[in-house]
Amino acid sequence: MKLSSALALSGVLLGLCPAVFAEPAVTVRAIDLRQAPASDARAVASLPANTAVDIARREGAWVQLTAGNSTGWAKLFDVRLATSRDGPPKTGSGTSISQTLQLASGARGTTVTTGVRGLDEEMLRNSTPNMAALTALDGHASTRPEAESFARAGQLQPRNVDPLKAADASAFGAKR
Amino acid sequence: MTQRRIVVGALAVLAALLPTACATPDSGGGTQTGAAPANRDILRGVLGGYSVGGVNLGAAAGVATSAAEATRDIPEAEEIQLGRGVAAGLLGAAPLTRNVQQQKYVNNVGRWLAANSGRPDLPWRFGIIDAPTVNAFATPGGHVFVTRGLVERTRSEAELAGVLAHEIAHVVQRHHLNDIRKQAGKNLALELASLKSGGLAGEAGRAVARVGLEGLVRGLSRDEELEADRIGVVIAARAGYEPYGLAAVLQTLAATPQDDSAMALFLKTHPSPQDRLAALESTLPASFDALAKPNPALARFDATFVNATPAAAAPAPAATPSTTPAPKPKPKPVPPKPPAAKPAS
Repeated sequence: MKLSSALALSGVLLGLCPAVFAEPAVTVRAIDLRQAPASDARAVASLPANTAVDIARREGAWVQLTAGNSTGWAKLFDVRLATSRDGPPKTGSGTSISQTLQLASGARGTTVTTGVRGLDEEMLRNSTPNMAALTALDGHASTRPEAESFARAGQLQPRNVDPLKAADASAFGAKR
Repeated sequence: MTQRRIVVGALAVLAALLPTACATPDSGGGTQTGAAPANRDILRGVLGGYSVGGVNLGAAAGVATSAAEATRDIPEAEEIQLGRGVAAGLLGAAPLTRNVQQQKYVNNVGRWLAANSGRPDLPWRFGIIDAPTVNAFATPGGHVFVTRGLVERTRSEAELAGVLAHEIAHVVQRHHLNDIRKQAGKNLALELASLKSGGLAGEAGRAVARVGLEGLVRGLSRDEELEADRIGVVIAARAGYEPYGLAAVLQTLAATPQDDSAMALFLKTHPSPQDRLAALESTLPASFDALAKPNPALARFDATFVNATPAAAAPAPAATPSTTPAPKPKPKPVPPKPPAAKPAS
């Protein structure tokens, strides 16, 4: 408990990606592992397609992989994750993200939710408007100044980015 | 036999109504005749079931009567009311989770993204809804929902931002609004008019919610989903997030067993995650790599979702995170660029 807290903290201090647990994955094509998360970084190993790897860290477009004795960086799109029903393993100690959300779940107020069912077509079709929940939704809204303060705390700086063009129209269907 | 008679009867009623409806093409502008409310109820009775004897009457009538309506711009105030009605319906199917700190967090991330979108000034609302299913929804006017099941499968604030930005893109492009307009056709003007007087909880409120929810169950087009992926990635990048969050989430969902019941509605209403990943991979330019620097300040995601304790599930006293070292003084955020344009051909 203490040790893992210390590890998590040191990860934060070092500015590392918080992913601590390795995620199993498979290469989808033959790739070079690079020494650093950059296309011009030195290649340290080559892996054929369908190699079983572990994702040790994530950094934007890049994932740090280990395969046997090799470690290096590859593009996110170069791998697919191993099948998992519950999604990625979580960092931190004690309570999982799933548990914190479940602890938090249940209807607002005094109502206790019992056995929450998945939100399916029938539930959407047969629902009765919940005006109390709409009021609660309004109550959680953030103002723009609040959001700007949140962004500053997260060191998120607005920047100019050009719109993306649609991929090859013949491959991905006609434009709207 | 009986079904057939119902269809014939329904069509007869429609035929009787059409001349009236067509005679007042500007009904959306508030020049309803006194007979309209009665017609409205009949129309609703006829069309409300969506499908009688296998014929989708709502859609058919929409096509028949909505030539003028389909091109009319819906004022923003009406779009917002309409979206609130659909949001109330959605919340009727699954309420919000109770952790106010997490709800507030999602609103801060979402509102910041929206401030960097093509419609920065809508009354944006974000919510985590209490369902183990994997999904996210947007309703017109700026209401965005993500399920507990999807939040559980995200790793970081950038991934959560990728999901929210995709939904924001649907609102910016008015995808659901246009869908509702198409489906409701002539009815929509009538519904919106009586929504003004009757409020969301009234009959009209329930009727618009039903049309909107039907749209969420049916899903948007593949092109609209891929467009929302592209625009969402740009919104996230403009807001300062590394732009690969959405791709990372899609990769997670691609690895979730596709026969898992938690995935059923999501997969029915979206292109496959593999498909969307392939589209993103071929669209994202190498220059986006430079937008993805590690950001330790975003470790607050773990504090909010991963390491939260039952105590943290109590209402948070402060709306904004209290203590992150202030970064160097910043200029005022630059105004967001104009709406992420539709992809040029």
